[in-house]
Amino acid sequence: MMDKAFRKSVLIADFLIELRSEIPFELEEGYDLFLSEDNKREADVKIDCFAGIPDAAFQNGDLVFEAENEDQKYYSIYRIGKDLGFVIYNQQDQSIQQIATLDASFSHWKVYSKVTDTNALLPLKYPLGPIVMHYMTLLSDAVMMHASCAFDGKDARIFTGFSGAGKSTMSKIWSEAQNQIVNDDRLIVRKQNETYYVYNTPMYYVDRPKKAPLSAVYLISHSPVNIMQKLNGALAVTRMMAFSIQNNFDTQYIQVRLNFFSTLCSSIPVYALGFVPDQSVVKFVLTNEAGETN
Amino acid sequence: MEIKELQQLKTKFVTREVGNELILVPLSQNVAQMSELFTMNETARFIWENSAETNSIDDMVPLMTDNFNIDQETAKKDIALFLDKLESLFAKKVS
Repeated sequence: MMDKAFRKSVLIADFLIELRSEIPFELEEGYDLFLSEDNKREADVKIDCFAGIPDAAFQNGDLVFEAENEDQKYYSIYRIGKDLGFVIYNQQDQSIQQIATLDASFSHWKVYSKVTDTNALLPLKYPLGPIVMHYMTLLSDAVMMHASCAFDGKDARIFTGFSGAGKSTMSKIWSEAQNQIVNDDRLIVRKQNETYYVYNTPMYYVDRPKKAPLSAVYLISHSPVNIMQKLNGALAVTRMMAFSIQNNFDTQYIQVRLNFFSTLCSSIPVYALGFVPDQSVVKFVLTNEAGETN
Repeated sequence: MEIKELQQLKTKFVTREVGNELILVPLSQNVAQMSELFTMNETARFIWENSAETNSIDDMVPLMTDNFNIDQETAKKDIALFLDKLESLFAKKVS
């Protein structure tokens, strides 16, 4: 490995990511407060950054996964031997924004991106940043989820559900009830020393890193009255896993996720919660949680 | 759907036992199916897990009658219902 002149490290969910480049590079502003000066610890993930998009990348690879919807493509994944290759598309014009490879250990990326107008690289430009974080979670007992999380200083509660279920609404309600919002969109849940912690991740805006111990998971939906029901076993696992970020083209990845959620759901309570979008849901949740533990 | 098609379909799922239930997660090449996870009840799970030992619905019937307190006609109907349900849910999606 050649010695790269430009280096930065970021600490996300206690994973240390080191980026190295021969030319200057920048990170989106959401990474600003996640920058780390820790140079004693070996990085969990190393990213070598290169200028320019290679022509005809992955011609000999097998296309294994495509993240797209009716409106646009986000990324395509190829299998090249034991490694993975990623083609990342620009969200404005759908041109190729980055080409990246990830080795079989999930710990070493090579990212090729265009030089910006300021003569620098932007290697983790969305959506590659969250993709790197997703594959990073496979290194440990961790998952990335679409969810919001409120922390009252003792307990962190995750609220997850389909788009429009009320994750941001819940954040606002719990924030008004003096809770700290870890994030209202994307979280990493990681098990460390037998405790599950919730972490925020860099977003498109600046926020400081947060970490809180997970106490309960709520699968939310709007309802004319506040109502909650504890879910157990396979139902809790499948409902929660449905809201995690997954690339399910590989048996091993799915098995790792199933193991994670099966273990989590055996120690953290999971509830289906229909809620009225006002402060009444806070008292309702706290009262019913207390009833569960009594 | 026939039993042999079920054997082929099984290779496109990852399963895990949680409590007494079996969770099925389809291997997927796109994001559309990632929220489609399934659980199986006792009868469905029995057919799923024993399909490798059989070549047809008729082969499966005695296994069913031996393990559940049902007659041959009921067993045959349960197996056919299960296979029809699988076909409607998965046959096109994971092909």
